[in-house]
Amino acid sequence: MSINTQSVSAPRSGENTWLWLLKIVTGGLLVILLGIHLVVNHFMDEKGLLTYADVVAYYQNPIIPIMEISFLAAVVTHSLTGLRGIVLDLKPSRIFLRVFDVILVIAGVSVIVYGIWLVLVIVSKG
Amino acid sequence: MDIRHNRPSPTKFWNWFNPVGRQTGGWAFILHRITALGLTFYLYLHLAVLGQLAKGPEGYDGFLALVRNPIAIAGELLVVAAGILHGLNGIRIILTTFGLSVTRQKQLFYVLMVIALVVILIFGSRMFTA
Repeated sequence: MSINTQSVSAPRSGENTWLWLLKIVTGGLLVILLGIHLVVNHFMDEKGLLTYADVVAYYQNPIIPIMEISFLAAVVTHSLTGLRGIVLDLKPSRIFLRVFDVILVIAGVSVIVYGIWLVLVIVSKG
Repeated sequence: MDIRHNRPSPTKFWNWFNPVGRQTGGWAFILHRITALGLTFYLYLHLAVLGQLAKGPEGYDGFLALVRNPIAIAGELLVVAAGILHGLNGIRIILTTFGLSVTRQKQLFYVLMVIALVVILIFGSRMFTA
């Protein structure tokens, strides 16, 4: 069987190589960070993080806010670069893509700022 | 799959999910795209809901009481399953990006999906019995 362009992962036509690479790298990071996130939430102790007090106590270990903020930044970046890739499959016009890019950047920055604010609020309740 | 079939086009949206005439790679594509869209939707819903934490114990514990029922847990398991499937299939995509296992990716896909099924069953049994 010959290897054609479809059997390997590569940027789409019109997809920025650095954005594509960012999607791949954040994807790899997420396999690790989402793995930790799921294990902590479902397996860490008998009940997981099922009350407000549990969550606040969990965030008092400084590793946790750092890990959660990294996780947030990676997952938001991955979801938005992924969404851009999906939209590119619909062959958007140049103007549409330019507007969409601005929306993605504003959305990404806002969500990450919101997440950092929320993490700091939770830490401060301890 | 015919390479022309994959050309970007505004009318291609439903074709992404058309199961007719798909081989293993095509099924992997459907799985990856559906889970991508589902997980993206869930992510922003999840972040909005976690805003309840800022309102203190009443807001968050009240919300958790609301979702501690079998239907909500089944929905949560669906999200966990989507994450596991997307992540494990993503490992295959990352490997092929760097030229690894390109000619063996069908076998790799099957192995990863068996692992995914086992992990999903472990999470499922844990979530419904805890």
